Amino acid sequence: MSVQQIQAVMDAAVDAVVLFDLTGRVEAVNRALERMFGWPAQQLCGGNVRQLMPEPERSAHDGCIAKLLRTGGLPILARELPALRRDGSTFPAYLSLGQVTGADPSQFIGFIRDLTDRRRGEENARQLNGRLVQVARLATMGEMVAGIAHEINQPLTAIANYARASERFLESPTPDLADVREAVQAVAAEALRAGEIVRRLRRMVRGSAEARQTTTVQALVEELQSVALADARVNHTRLGFHLAPDMPQLFVDRAQVVQLLLNLIHNALESLAQDPASNREILVRGRRTETGDCELSVCDNGPGVAPEILDRMFEPFRSTKPNGTGLGLPMSQTIAQAHNGSVRHQPGLPRGAYFVLTLPPADNQS
Amino acid sequence: MKDRPATIYVVDDDDGVRASIRLLLKSVGLPATPMASAKEFLAAFDPAQPGCLVLDIRMPGMSGLELQQQLNVRGAILPVLFITGHGDVPMAVEAMQHGAFDFLQKPFRDQDLIDRIQKALARDRETRAVSKQHDQVRARLATLTQREQQVLQLLTQGKQNKVMAAELRLSQRTVEIHRAHVMEKMGAGSLAHLVRMVLDISGR
Repeated sequence: MSVQQIQAVMDAAVDAVVLFDLTGRVEAVNRALERMFGWPAQQLCGGNVRQLMPEPERSAHDGCIAKLLRTGGLPILARELPALRRDGSTFPAYLSLGQVTGADPSQFIGFIRDLTDRRRGEENARQLNGRLVQVARLATMGEMVAGIAHEINQPLTAIANYARASERFLESPTPDLADVREAVQAVAAEALRAGEIVRRLRRMVRGSAEARQTTTVQALVEELQSVALADARVNHTRLGFHLAPDMPQLFVDRAQVVQLLLNLIHNALESLAQDPASNREILVRGRRTETGDCELSVCDNGPGVAPEILDRMFEPFRSTKPNGTGLGLPMSQTIAQAHNGSVRHQPGLPRGAYFVLTLPPADNQS
Repeated sequence: MKDRPATIYVVDDDDGVRASIRLLLKSVGLPATPMASAKEFLAAFDPAQPGCLVLDIRMPGMSGLELQQQLNVRGAILPVLFITGHGDVPMAVEAMQHGAFDFLQKPFRDQDLIDRIQKALARDRETRAVSKQHDQVRARLATLTQREQQVLQLLTQGKQNKVMAAELRLSQRTVEIHRAHVMEKMGAGSLAHLVRMVLDISGR
């Protein structure tokens, strides 16, 4: 083939094509490469192929070629790697590299495909999927909580009725003590019934030990992010994540722990609702404690927990929200304790709330 | 005839809630008839019994909403006060659309329940009084002769004696006598009163 014919074949290719020698000197590129990288062909030819790669791939390139030659070459090498445009931006690329046989000095031909669109599609699909799973899970949690709320409301309603009835009976100038006795006995029985419902709830939350698996904190936080970031956007709140590099592995029911953290984030989002949107900020941080435990904290810069409920916020039905079930923090605490961990609260500085979930590392759980 | 005393039916499958409402009502001197299911209530249902119905919206078997529909089919006038749970607002709205008197969310303040029951009882008394009046008017109507009924019909159309006489081919004097009988038999103090009575029972 003539040089023109080769150029015509290269230009017809959809992928970017680059021909270079063992020193990295670019011999020829095609039109697709010009478009993909933003370089005109004449400025690339004679230059080094390294300028198409960002660091650290750029510095490693010469070593890679030398290694290829030392190992006697290869029919084809294919891998994903980042690529660098003329304007300094990078994009995910798929490179397949072939050695031109018989050329002296050795020549290589590279085909480069831009993966940006595919990545975006994959990411969207992943996020959508994660969101759907989470929505389904939340719906079940919501139904469960609604069911429990209904059941607990029954004895509560009865207790309130009996108490007020007793009061009215006693207000009479000649109270019928038999009626009062009946009411008071019934109050005691109904209170025990409410207690039994709460015990059942605890068993329900605890009873999923078989759903536990070893997981990294990163995987857990990624699952959390897919939902939490969307919720934060809707609430015009900045939500940041920062994990220390040495996070231990966990042995947990991932769904429950994600639920727990989501619950803390939702509390934070709600507490920030009255603040100006430009100030609202939540930070989720992960670190490994001195004792090797995993510590995940949710910190906001809102008004903080009202002092009058500080002592009681982990008790059921203490909600300060108009539509709260009063079960969010108690259930979070129950989930944490079921995993031999804990949730505790500290006031934020200078303001805000700071909730810390501590979980033991996977190797401590047998 | 003396009116029958009203009773408050309390239909709730939850023993504790049902018994506590009964005792609460007893503490303010209101008579209650507790029942554990919609079926039990329907079996004992007596349309002539005045009172009201305090009904749990969510029950196994026949739900409160279904019982309300059954009562509507039977043309019952008993006011229904629904007791709903935390998340039952859509059901409560449906109940209101089907003519429920009111609804209360659990847990409720006792005074709210008592106030609403008092209002429901007042409404029931009113409805029954009106319906008793209507029955009386119908009974009186039945005593009119055919001629008198014709005169009554023309009277309610606003016709003068002269016009009626011409239409019925009677003398004016005869029309006047029929008219006096109608007023007397119907117990009407004035023409306006008579017209009102007839319009009321014809539903206009």
